[in-house]
Formats: sequence, structure tokens, C-alpha cells
Amino acid sequence: MSQATQGGGAPDREAGMSFSIDEWFVVTLARTIRDREVVFHGFGSPCAQVAMHVARHSHARDMLLVEGATYAVNPDPPFIPPTGNDLSLQRSASYRMRFEEFFDAAIRGDVDRMFLSGGQIDPYGNTNVTAIGPLDRPKVKLGGGGGGCNLAATIRHLSLWTTRHRSGRTLVEQCDFITDVGHRTPEGSRAELGFTGGGPEWLVTELGVFDYDADGRARLRRLFPDVTLDDVKAATGFELQLAGDLQTVPLPSAAEIAALRAVDPLGVRRSEFAPQELRRTFTHREGARCIC
Amino acid sequence: MPFHLNTDKLVDLSQAAHTVTDGALIALGGGLSARLPMALVRELIRQRRRNLHVVGSAHSIDVDLLVAAGALAVCEESYVGFEQDLGLAPAYRRAAETGAIEIRESCCATILTQLRAAEFGVPFLPVRGVKGSDIRRLHPEYAEVTCPFTGEALVAVPPLRPDVTLIHAPLSDRRGNLHLDQPYVLDERFAAASRTVVATVERIASTEEVAEAGITIPAHLVTAVAEVPYGAHPTSCYPGYAYDRGHIAEYVTAATSGGAALASYLDRYVIEASTEEAYRKVVGEERLAALGCWSDSTTAWKELFA
Repeated sequence: MSQATQGGGAPDREAGMSFSIDEWFVVTLARTIRDREVVFHGFGSPCAQVAMHVARHSHARDMLLVEGATYAVNPDPPFIPPTGNDLSLQRSASYRMRFEEFFDAAIRGDVDRMFLSGGQIDPYGNTNVTAIGPLDRPKVKLGGGGGGCNLAATIRHLSLWTTRHRSGRTLVEQCDFITDVGHRTPEGSRAELGFTGGGPEWLVTELGVFDYDADGRARLRRLFPDVTLDDVKAATGFELQLAGDLQTVPLPSAAEIAALRAVDPLGVRRSEFAPQELRRTFTHREGARCIC
Repeated sequence: MPFHLNTDKLVDLSQAAHTVTDGALIALGGGLSARLPMALVRELIRQRRRNLHVVGSAHSIDVDLLVAAGALAVCEESYVGFEQDLGLAPAYRRAAETGAIEIRESCCATILTQLRAAEFGVPFLPVRGVKGSDIRRLHPEYAEVTCPFTGEALVAVPPLRPDVTLIHAPLSDRRGNLHLDQPYVLDERFAAASRTVVATVERIASTEEVAEAGITIPAHLVTAVAEVPYGAHPTSCYPGYAYDRGHIAEYVTAATSGGAALASYLDRYVIEASTEEAYRKVVGEERLAALGCWSDSTTAWKELFA
């Protein structure tokens, strides 16, 4: 059972017992990382980027963190800047990889986890970051996939995320364009395509958390406490499958919230959320014991 | 790719940009908001270059400005945009949506493999990914190859030899030995795979000083070098200066409006500012100097981005 109650006021940052959805979301993403994993985030991904630093300062102290656009290994940035390619993201790094050092490692299978998002995500975890609508005349040309279309094939696990589930346009039955491959495409399964990575393991949204069943289809495992199943159904463009043990998303610890606020004083993670989502704040219930 | 052995590569910016001809395949150095060859991009626009084909990894205002000025025909970058912070690239997006430019979106790892094929002098190299992705549909030049040892079917990609690579670096000598700070992104690979390499640098120094700092790209790969202080502005060139987030936001606002607002940005910062000296004046010497304050303290650095 959740110990959280939804609050209307501003988070009490001093006490560390109140937090907003962006903070709970990032901590939830951080918890998809296991200790001693080699982990990478793409650029333009502040939530995933902050999550990696939170994980490294809480439950995954021996992970190897590779910054998404500087390829710095285990840096301690004084703050997360609004761009992925800034010198601050190399501060105190133990090593700085060359671009090709990172890509070689990922492609031969030595990187354990990557974070990926998309303007569209289908039930098999295929993602579209290229274009909405037909590519010869797209309705919206998105930025593009960076290195994802090779990396998604060989990195061991993928943690997918979106902060735009509620829009109803993100989780779709079929992507207009598949940039990065999930568990299965019209051309076949990962095994049939000869991919060595395991594909999407988690999909974290601002409404809840999905994992993937044996057929590689998304399955709702966790809900945020201020979200109903009907909310999720209304926002999801594919048939919603539920896990047998559907529960509330586990609460963040005070230590995780403190780590997050220390690494992201500029609040760049908040740029991923619609303004109305950022009004979602939570407090640990009166008398609840510290869970850190 | 062929070695360039002349001992004095020093030219001015105009001569450097003339290396790029209409229709050329060009690789842009740096990435996202760091060390983009912006002075060269502005000069190409002043010289009214047309039908360019750009290739590279993750880029932003360099590509978008070329699109805004009508200089681009084909875009083969893996990403063009302003990240979560400032969002989609307005001119690039509009041109893609109206069909004004051809989108051949690629993947960083595929481009790296293609550059290596050019460096190795082999007719193709295989990649393991790409299959199942619609990125493959944008590249009829890719083929499939069966491994003679394992029987595995892989995607074969051809060599990529840019006509010109454009790089901005903090330091070089007159011979063209370039010192870069990390991340080098694809600059080293571009330099080795390209027919010609044109660089702008913050400062020309003695060969001894550049060697002391560390030579990242050797002179024999470089065709021409021009001294252009703040040549990466509004992107960063550390240790000299951080990126100018305010200026980039001003550009994104103008480019999103399009029409007169975008024309006015281009006039003010590129066409009427007919040299880089004029550009620096319009931007403001004080503003530029303030971008160097990142090293004063963490607070000062943070405030630049707030």
C-alpha cells in the first residue's frame, strides 16, 4: 500500500518529505538501474540523465555511468546543464571516452542499459523519434534518433520512458516510423533480426510503470496513486494489459530525493513535463516512518 | 584523405569557406551546443552557397541556420534539434514538412562505420543494427551481406568520404596541427575520411605550443586554417567560453516565427554583419566576454544557463 497522499501545496523541500511528480518519476527511472551495470542515456534526455546520477548516489554506487553526449565516465557534475554537451558534465570524470570507444563497446555488447524515449511508442516498445505522419510529407519532423537504431539492437537492456503518456498521442498501436527497434517489428522478432540485446525491460510514464510479457508486449505493473486505471486506459492507444500484481509505484526515499535535488539544482528534468503535470505533489503520510 | 603537405595553411575565413562548392557533401564538426563551426556556417551563407548535403551526428543551430538560409538540399544528420530545452529545430522541421529538403536521417553508429570504411579503404563494412528500423528505408545505398564465417546476415554500408569537413578548434599552428578538447565527437574520424579539412581556430600559436597542448588532428590531414575568435559562438568552445543559451533562444524564437523575424535575424547577424568582426560587434563584446566567466565559480557557471 502506498504511504503517499496527494497534496495541493508546494513541496516542502527542506523536510525532504514532500516531492513532486518529476522527482518521483526520476527516482522510479533510477530504480530500473541495477548496481554494477554499465549505463548510458541519449542526449536531450534530462530525466534519464538525472536518474543515472541519482542511482549512482543511492543504490548503484558501483555502476559505470557514461554521459550521453560527452562520453565522460562517472563524472560528478556541479549541476546538470540544459544541454547534453557541456563541460560541466565532464567534471571529476574518472575517464573520458572517445565517441567511438563508447559506440564500439555498446555494439559488441558491453553496455548493460540505455534509456530511450519517443514521440510514439508501440506495445512492443518500438520507438519513433523521426517523424509523425508519412516521412515524405511529415506532419511533424522530430529531431531524429542519434545513435539509437544501432544501439537499441545490442545494448543488453532498454529502459523506456515518456512524460507525455496522458496526451493520448504517445503510446500508440503502431508507430508511424520505427526509429529504434523494441521486441518485435513487422520484419520479425529481435532473435529473427539477429539482435544480441534483450530489448525494452521497463517503460516508465508519468501515469505508471510497464514491464514486458513473454511475447514482448507492454503490461502495466505499477500506478502512481493519483492516477486511475481509467486514466491509463483513456491515454493508451493499444489494448491495456495488466500485471497480476498491479500495485502503486514504490515511494522515493529521502536519500534519493536529496541526491536528485543536489545534482539537478536547475530543475532541467522539469522541462520534460507538461505544466499541469508539475502541479502533482505528494507527501509521505503523517507519522509514516522514514523509508530510506 | 590524401595528405596535405604544404607547410603554411593559414588563410582568411572567406578563402576557407570557398573550399566548399555548391552541392558539396560536407561534414560538420562538434555536436549539439559545443564547438560547431559557426563562423564557417555564417560565411557559407554570406557567400550564398547552395544545394549542400550535410552529414554527421547530433547537431543544432549550424544545420538549422543553413536550412533557414536556403543553403541545404540534403540532410543526413542523425539528429537536428535543440534538445528538451529549446525543442525542435524550426527551419529544419519546416523544410522537412514542406519537402524543401531531403531527409536521409542516419544513425551515429552507422556514420562512424561508414567513415571507418573510407579510412580503411574498403568498399563496405557491416553493421548489426538498422534491420527492422525504418531508417533503412531512407538509405537505398545500404545492402545486405552474409558473413562468410558465421552465415549471419548483416547490413552492409558503403564508405563515407565527405568533400569537406568543417571544424572549429581552440588552437592550431600555421601548418594546421589542431588541438581539440574532448568530446571530439566525430571530428577525428571526419578528418581522416574527408577529401579536405577546413578549420577555424580561436588562436594561431606556435607548433611548440600546440604540441604541448596536444595535437588531436595532424596537419597532414588539414587543408586550410583561419583564425576566428569566437568562431563557435553561439555554441561553446571551452576553455574559452560556454554556449550562449540566450542567443540560441533568440534564434529559435525568430526561426519559429519564420518570415520577417527569421529574415531579420539573418540580416542582423549574418548578411549585414558581413565579417566575423562585425558579428562580434553586433553580439556585443561584453556579452561574449561574460561567456568566459564560467570558470570563476560554480554559481557563475550555473547562472549562465539559468
